[in-house]
Amino acid sequence: MEKEKSNRYVTLLLTLILSMVVGAIFMWLVGYHPLDAYVQLFKGAFIGKVNLGTTLQKFVPILLTGLGFAVAAKVDCFNAGIEGELYLGAMAAAWAGHYVTFLPGILHILFCFLVAMVVGALWAAIPAILKVKWNVNEICVCILSTYVAKYFCSWLCNGPLTAGSGIPQTPNITDDAVLPKILAPSQANFGLFIAIAIIFFIGWMIYKSAVGMKFQMVGLNKKNAEYLGINVKKVVIQGMMVSGALGGIAGAIEVMGAYGYFLDNFSLNIANDGMLASLIVWNDILLVPVMSLFVAALKAGALSMERFAGVPRSIVDTITAVFIIFATMETLFQVSKGRFAGWKQKKQGNSKSEGGKSI
Amino acid sequence: MSAENYVVEMVDIEKNFATVKAVDHSFFNLKKGEIHSLIGENGAGKSTMMKMLYGLYQPDAGVIKINGEEMRDLTPGKAIEKGIGMVHQEFMLVNELTVLENVILGFEPKKGVTIDFDEARKKIQTYIDDYHMEIQPDKRINQISVGEAQRVEIIKTLYRGANVLIMDEPTAVLTPQECVKFFEILQELRKDGKSIIFISHKLNEVMEISDRVSVMRAGKYITTVDKKDTNPTDLAKLMVGRDVNLHIKSGNAVKPGEVVLKVDNLWTSGEKEISKIRGISFEVRAGETVGIAGVDGNGQSELIEAITGLRKVEKGTVTLSGKDITNFAPKKAREAGLSHIPEERNVRGLNRSMSIEDNLVALKFDLEPFTKHYTRNKKEVRKFAEDLIEKFDIRPKKADVITQSLSGGNAQKIVIAREVDAGGDLLIAAQPTRGVDIGAIESIRTTLENVKKDGKAILLVSADLDEVMDMSDRIVVMYEGKITGILNAKDATKEEVGLYMLGQAEQDRKES
Repeated sequence: MEKEKSNRYVTLLLTLILSMVVGAIFMWLVGYHPLDAYVQLFKGAFIGKVNLGTTLQKFVPILLTGLGFAVAAKVDCFNAGIEGELYLGAMAAAWAGHYVTFLPGILHILFCFLVAMVVGALWAAIPAILKVKWNVNEICVCILSTYVAKYFCSWLCNGPLTAGSGIPQTPNITDDAVLPKILAPSQANFGLFIAIAIIFFIGWMIYKSAVGMKFQMVGLNKKNAEYLGINVKKVVIQGMMVSGALGGIAGAIEVMGAYGYFLDNFSLNIANDGMLASLIVWNDILLVPVMSLFVAALKAGALSMERFAGVPRSIVDTITAVFIIFATMETLFQVSKGRFAGWKQKKQGNSKSEGGKSI
Repeated sequence: MSAENYVVEMVDIEKNFATVKAVDHSFFNLKKGEIHSLIGENGAGKSTMMKMLYGLYQPDAGVIKINGEEMRDLTPGKAIEKGIGMVHQEFMLVNELTVLENVILGFEPKKGVTIDFDEARKKIQTYIDDYHMEIQPDKRINQISVGEAQRVEIIKTLYRGANVLIMDEPTAVLTPQECVKFFEILQELRKDGKSIIFISHKLNEVMEISDRVSVMRAGKYITTVDKKDTNPTDLAKLMVGRDVNLHIKSGNAVKPGEVVLKVDNLWTSGEKEISKIRGISFEVRAGETVGIAGVDGNGQSELIEAITGLRKVEKGTVTLSGKDITNFAPKKAREAGLSHIPEERNVRGLNRSMSIEDNLVALKFDLEPFTKHYTRNKKEVRKFAEDLIEKFDIRPKKADVITQSLSGGNAQKIVIAREVDAGGDLLIAAQPTRGVDIGAIESIRTTLENVKKDGKAILLVSADLDEVMDMSDRIVVMYEGKITGILNAKDATKEEVGLYMLGQAEQDRKES
């Protein structure tokens, strides 16, 4: 089992290298210098306060939405609606940050998070309830409800909650609800540490707690869980609500850390990047942070690559796409490994046969 | 004996799957007009051997000869051409097509561009007449019984010109009566000069039908014996590699006590029309095993699901130790004292992606001491699991192994360990030894006997009639969702139970 896991990491690394190579070949074919482009990409992502800050600021919501997606996947749900939960969470935090003024300092921040989480969780509960009660496909509901969430927020920041400045945004949240910035003048903020704490919490919850055990039992085999006496429906709804809450937190951090208000259409499919980060690593909670950082770095570094190496930044999307294609080809490296093993065995004249692994 | 006598010869065959040696230097040969049984436990390599003969797998080493001709790169197409036919364990029939259409599928006689159905019908009718098979060629497969479907499979192979018939566990799905008929057909086929390979692990059937018996164990060829020189006990010993007690009889030492389970006029929906439960009533007492016999799919599964809370009861009541548990959620039914070994071990019984220890603790992982302050205490789980692994002799003796890789017997022992450990007053055991090797069967039956001796009630459902007869104190026979008879196991004969299983005897002989 352990061996299988480490094989996974190797596969992931090979996939990464392979997709970079394909990207390089592509760049070379259209007349750019691949090495130069990658150097600029790396520099643009990590070298310098602003660059690193931008990467980290992009990293946080990708990470949280990715974790959210992975948690839903643990209860065998495909939460395609995290973008909606992110928007609603952001709006909820913007509302609580501006209008709820009686709470002092840290309590105000906590309250904003709480509201964002509750809103995100309740929104995610809708597809879950429809799924367990009437067997409605949660992916359809998620995709559709995301539009509802987005347009609802759009209406709020243009209408009832508008700042009145002609820009579709809500009024600034009060100063005590703002998360401190780090690595100024980038938009990176204290939300990074909250996100890191959440990694540990979710990791503990899924792999160490009884609740996580239930999630996994339901996600891996519903019939078995039902027979053992677990309330499968309840657990599925719980899993989706945790997932939605994470989306809500992601939105809240964007508002309270990066912007200070809710800006219409502020997220250009952040949750999709998170979802992809999670899918690439087979929804392995411990790998989601790594992959999220990678995706964030690609996004952040793309601009400087374009500026200094002259390579259009859409090339990054190409690399990401290639990566996803390779990563979803689960047997890509297994097949070649199998062949290699077979070849090796033949070469040794079957001298070392291992008695058989099945027990 | 000269080599020309063999229609099939497999010499020094070897087959590996990744690192697993499925077949290791094995031999098999078949004379014309004989019935040759190939026996062995699950995973012994019998099916793999035969799949190589049928061209489904390629051997890594060794020689396959058909009619003395060495075959290379055998494919099913070539094997059929050479007269090899295989009746698989799961029937390969198209449910929506008629018997006739199924038989000729892929080998249709043509008249110009159209299929010559008259010709096909004539040919099939000759087989039906020759071998006295009762088949109506124009019925659709989903309208005929399992026994008939099997005969269709046999005709299909004959129609394709088979001289050698490979039968993979053919009797597993048949009632005793159907078995008798099936054996008659085999005899006729033999008389006609067909050669038959009979794969089984039911030793009494092997003894009844075969001329010779080959034994495999753990991928290795053990020996070939003439039937007249052997007996079931010896064969079992050869299969398992040690002495085995084949028949663990129900010990009548325990006096049945209080009524533990009472099912009263139960009605439920069914997966199929004939498996709806229609008004079933019976009781199980403490210290008693009640066996449910019946042809698969006559409502046994639905009955168990209804009792355990996995299927909705439409009418009637289920009472456990005096408490009405009708339509209880599985958790509450368990709390009321119900333990359940489900029939679908790999779907319901186990979470195959999880480790042995997580499966063993699956009923109480969220309780102390296995979870404290919301955090799971894996040390306690390990201790608990290792204890059960030792007690129930689950192999491998490593608690963190994923159950996927376990053999049927050891996987089943996990389920049994967990359910027996739960200690309910009623233990429902559905198909407890299905797909389990002989050694494990022995241990599982012993475990169930001990549970009974502890004064618990056992409700046993099994498609293996021998098992029901051996283990039960009373036998409830089901047919089309109804009880056709309740018999005392001591007085009942197999034939009698078989009649009830076919619904031929109505409820005229109820036990008082």
